Amino acid sequence: MKGIKTGAASVYPKKDRNLTRWLFVGPAMLVVLCLLVYPLGSTLLYSFTNKTLIKTTYSFKGLENYIKILSDPDFLRAFGTTLVWTFSSLLGQLLVGFTGALALNRINNRITRPIYRICMIIPWAFPSVAIALVWKWMLNGIQGYIPTMLMNLGLSDSMIQFLSDPKLVLPTLVFINIWFGAPMIMVNVYAALQTVPRDQYEAAVIDGANAWQSFIHITVPHIKVVVGLLVVLRTIWVFNNFDIIFMTTAGGPAGRTTTMPIYIYELGWTNKLVGRASAASILLLIFLIAVCLIYFAVITHWEKEDRA
Amino acid sequence: MKKGKRVGDILCNVYLIILAVFAVFPLLWLLVSSFKSSSEMLNNPTKILPIQWTLENFKTVLITLNFTINIRNSVIIAAATTLIAIVISSLAAYGVVRFFPKLGDVMTKVLVTTYMFPSIMLVIPYAMVMAKLGLTNTRIGLVLVYLSFSVPYAVWMLVGFFKTVPIGIEEAARIDGANKLQVFVRVVLPLVAPGIVSTAIYVFINAWNEYLYSMILMSSSDKTTISVAVKTLEGADILNWGSLMAACAIVVVPSIIFFCFIQSKLAGGLSDGAVK
Repeated sequence: MKGIKTGAASVYPKKDRNLTRWLFVGPAMLVVLCLLVYPLGSTLLYSFTNKTLIKTTYSFKGLENYIKILSDPDFLRAFGTTLVWTFSSLLGQLLVGFTGALALNRINNRITRPIYRICMIIPWAFPSVAIALVWKWMLNGIQGYIPTMLMNLGLSDSMIQFLSDPKLVLPTLVFINIWFGAPMIMVNVYAALQTVPRDQYEAAVIDGANAWQSFIHITVPHIKVVVGLLVVLRTIWVFNNFDIIFMTTAGGPAGRTTTMPIYIYELGWTNKLVGRASAASILLLIFLIAVCLIYFAVITHWEKEDRA
Repeated sequence: MKKGKRVGDILCNVYLIILAVFAVFPLLWLLVSSFKSSSEMLNNPTKILPIQWTLENFKTVLITLNFTINIRNSVIIAAATTLIAIVISSLAAYGVVRFFPKLGDVMTKVLVTTYMFPSIMLVIPYAMVMAKLGLTNTRIGLVLVYLSFSVPYAVWMLVGFFKTVPIGIEEAARIDGANKLQVFVRVVLPLVAPGIVSTAIYVFINAWNEYLYSMILMSSSDKTTISVAVKTLEGADILNWGSLMAACAIVVVPSIIFFCFIQSKLAGGLSDGAVK
């Protein structure tokens, strides 16, 4: 792929780029306008109003929703939970995925490699409803496989209530998320590792570099941009994830796993306070954009370094 | 030196085997549970293979609980989403690559940015608009909503594939008098067919797996899709874990099979420069 030049050579000359070119991109632009720009706009608008799902009329209230949200202890708690959930899930996924990819790259066996790959595809392909229900079944405090097994092995005295014990529930969800996300990181990092030219390692060995030095000076510079992009995509996904938490604990017990999306759902759908929920959505989006801008600044800096 | 290398290889293999077992076990447990009777699950909670294999759970789910209707809904909705999304997205991706040398970059960036929009933010406006249009509880409504995540992703994936087509072939066809659309359909599409198929499969899986929009927009049980139907089963009285796992198996198995087809295309998508 690297060899293909994009840009001027692959584009039609100017005289051919007349009005008909808009016919190609028009439908997609319509989709973006109606299904993404419009809802964003209406959320922004409603965030300044007292709009509810019950009444059709509403009036403007200025920043009232934002003030109420930012002084709501439940919002602050949900925000904190989201940060813990996102950060620890990502850290775990990266740690497991990265080490797994390095191990896979090291053995590089033609027979076992595809088997491992297929195994790694499985969690990745799990629909969220199946992730939630299969883990609920395995962790179930009455006859679940994992608590029973831990008791039979003498590792616990009673059936551990992974999903209803307030102390265990968030770590348990993070564990499930690592199970789901680490394989995707592993497969992608492995693919990136394959693009590192082998002869550079050989040259490093001749120069007397040890494994750690080659890792830091050859592997890391080659794959950091890809890994960086992967981290951006995963951060967004985990941060916004609604399904897994909603279907395993629905934010419980006692709000212990209420992340921002669950908080917004309860506000907007359960309590029908669209205005308030919209303000919370906008705050969520602003935070996410800020995080992504920082990430992209770092990645662009790396890309410049690469070119230099 | 050589001995050290071999020990390292063994350690790596052990680690990978642990990871593989960890990755696969939930699927295995889901599948074996779906073939067990409820008494067996109660008496032997940690025995892996069923003593007696039974299809009872699948019968309950498909016949008694009328799940076939939800499967049909999901297939129709996912297929329609895929078809529409692929037509719209391949036109757009081709257009961006060939006709918009400068603006195209901005367009794909805007699309990628929409990935940041939380679905929980979008779903309430969708619910209100669909109610106004009278499209709540209709397949058309849900398909339209599914385009919101399918089209951006498909365009992003397809731009990478269209960039690999050399323009020379198209110029030859243009000289022979074909117009832009003819060139696109007859010359370019066949060349990127494998890429389009992978993209289509990916869009299909995502629509098949979707939960939140369907839960909010499809309120009646005979109209809803399979993930929502499975989740609602959880609260039903007649249900045991075996039947629930049978229902999950029906959702998860097609998804895994399709994923295996496109796995080589997915991995490496990032490093192949699709985003660059």
